[in-house]
Amino acid sequence: MRSNLVVAAAFLLLGIYLAASAAILPAGIGGLPGPGFFPQVIGSVTVLLAVGLLVQTARRREPGSFALANKGAVAGAIGLMFLYLLLWGTGWFALRTAVFLTLLLRFLGQRWGTSVLVGVALTAAVVGAFQYGLRISLE
Amino acid sequence: MTADILDGLQAVLQWQVLLFLLGGVALGAVFGALPGLTATMGVAVLTPLTFWLSAEEGLAMLLGIYCGAIPAGGIPAILINVPGTPASIASSWDGYPLAKKGQAGLALGINALCSAVGQLTSVLFLAILAFPIASFALRFGPAEYFGLALFGISLMAGVSGKRVIQGLLAGMLGLALSTVGLDPMTAFPRYTYGFSEFLDGVSFVPVMIGLFGLAEVLVQISERHSALSKPPLALGRIWPKLAEWKQMLPGMLTGAGLGTLVGAIPAAGGDIGAVIAWEQARRLSKRTEEFGKGSIEGLGASSTACNAAIGGAMTTMLTLGIPGDAVSAILIGALLIHGIQPGPLLFRDHGELVFTIVFLIVFAALLIMVVGLLGARPLARVLDIPNPWLWAGIVLFGTVGSYALNNAAVDVWVMFAAGIIGFFLRKADVPLGPLVLGLILGPMMEANLRRALILSRGDVWGTLSRPIVLFFLIATVFSLLLPLIRRDRKGEEKA
Repeated sequence: MRSNLVVAAAFLLLGIYLAASAAILPAGIGGLPGPGFFPQVIGSVTVLLAVGLLVQTARRREPGSFALANKGAVAGAIGLMFLYLLLWGTGWFALRTAVFLTLLLRFLGQRWGTSVLVGVALTAAVVGAFQYGLRISLE
Repeated sequence: MTADILDGLQAVLQWQVLLFLLGGVALGAVFGALPGLTATMGVAVLTPLTFWLSAEEGLAMLLGIYCGAIPAGGIPAILINVPGTPASIASSWDGYPLAKKGQAGLALGINALCSAVGQLTSVLFLAILAFPIASFALRFGPAEYFGLALFGISLMAGVSGKRVIQGLLAGMLGLALSTVGLDPMTAFPRYTYGFSEFLDGVSFVPVMIGLFGLAEVLVQISERHSALSKPPLALGRIWPKLAEWKQMLPGMLTGAGLGTLVGAIPAAGGDIGAVIAWEQARRLSKRTEEFGKGSIEGLGASSTACNAAIGGAMTTMLTLGIPGDAVSAILIGALLIHGIQPGPLLFRDHGELVFTIVFLIVFAALLIMVVGLLGARPLARVLDIPNPWLWAGIVLFGTVGSYALNNAAVDVWVMFAAGIIGFFLRKADVPLGPLVLGLILGPMMEANLRRALILSRGDVWGTLSRPIVLFFLIATVFSLLLPLIRRDRKGEEKA
């Protein structure tokens, strides 16, 4: 995949969005910059830089590479973490965390026994350090 | 003055004080080494404990935490590419590549030694140049802060290596994120999309953990069958050779000077100081191309600078009563509780206390150096842990660390989003350092520019033509043009 082109396109969209959305923020009073001034400057500079990257990529013919191997493993890890975070704050921190870590480790190719052991050990370390050591409630 | 020095030394040499200092350094090391926990948090959490102690014992514990946390922040930065504290961001740029090359021991050794050098030289500055540095820092108004922030942001170009435009774009993303929350002047909500959690803006610690921690884990998972997936297990030696000391010296001196100076400027802490020092060391170096790929000069400069900021912050705090950073703000509170008012009168009324602080930092620096050097070998064994275990640990500690910062679930989601964005940016070869730089410096730049314009009633030229601002503007232009000039020269040489 031509990574530079994708990066330039993504930032071009971000820059246009920032500049456009900043225009509808309240204007400053007495000729002084208002809340939209800084986002507008950032948006405009982002657009200029993104166009610059497009031009540079076209001139040098160096589109860059975007090699994404092990897509399944990456997507799986992200998905598991997403589910874990969805349940954040629902109680049973230690149990939820130990189950999440066991599944994550199993997914990453560890044996069931190792996954359970390491998952429980890491959970115990975090609960010990944060909940009991620093008195930070994780529930 | 001699009597003050001797009284200060005598106060520190009591066994109770030394014991509290040791305890503070150990606790600080824990706070620094765990991503998400910061020196500020450590000092804030443990300040109430010092109410029952004498002023010297309380100061010993709090300064121990401060001086222990900053060097310890470099340990996870070097071993797993996750800065333990914001001040150690720049340490990961060269420390982690060194660890991947099989020189984790040397990287940890340099971190420990340069941290001590940074703290010791800055405390020397404190003892000798306290008043001149503090009065220079006092000349900073909103316009000067804007100039400093603009100069800091211009360093994005240098931090980006060969991918200048990509780096600047990442910096723009950081600046864009910094605009989320209440407008600093009118309190008008911007880009919060109805979420009250974003009114205070996006915390940069979860972003940092996501970008450098979760993103790194995802990158490693995606490359697990390639040669890059497992860092070499060899730890190598810990102590740098004489030739390496000589090579690091200019960077260390740059780091000590700039770190102290930036630390002395209120609200500009070790994170900014380390980035500026790293970039200046890169420019002064004959081995520019090694920076960001495991340069011992780069690591030496950044480790020295982020620790030198401690002495700078203490200078401003003690001489003017103004906090140089968040930790010194809490320390001022602790001193007031003990009936001590920091400020110019402190030198007249409690001169011995100033030297007590000086000697406490000296002893803390020596302690952390010894602990750092002795602990380097066992600490570096972290690299022996099987990758999936390490990844699970980073994900867990990163998540809980992000939450612990404000006890807010939104920070965990910010970390998650930053991790995914960081992963895709890494895969597209976009440097991540400028993004964090933009996020840190954005609010400082915007608020101070607008404040300066209000003070000057919209007179842009009057704002920008102040001597210090003008200096920063010229430095900014040079900073942006230098990478392009260097690239053109290299192109001509190759042709």
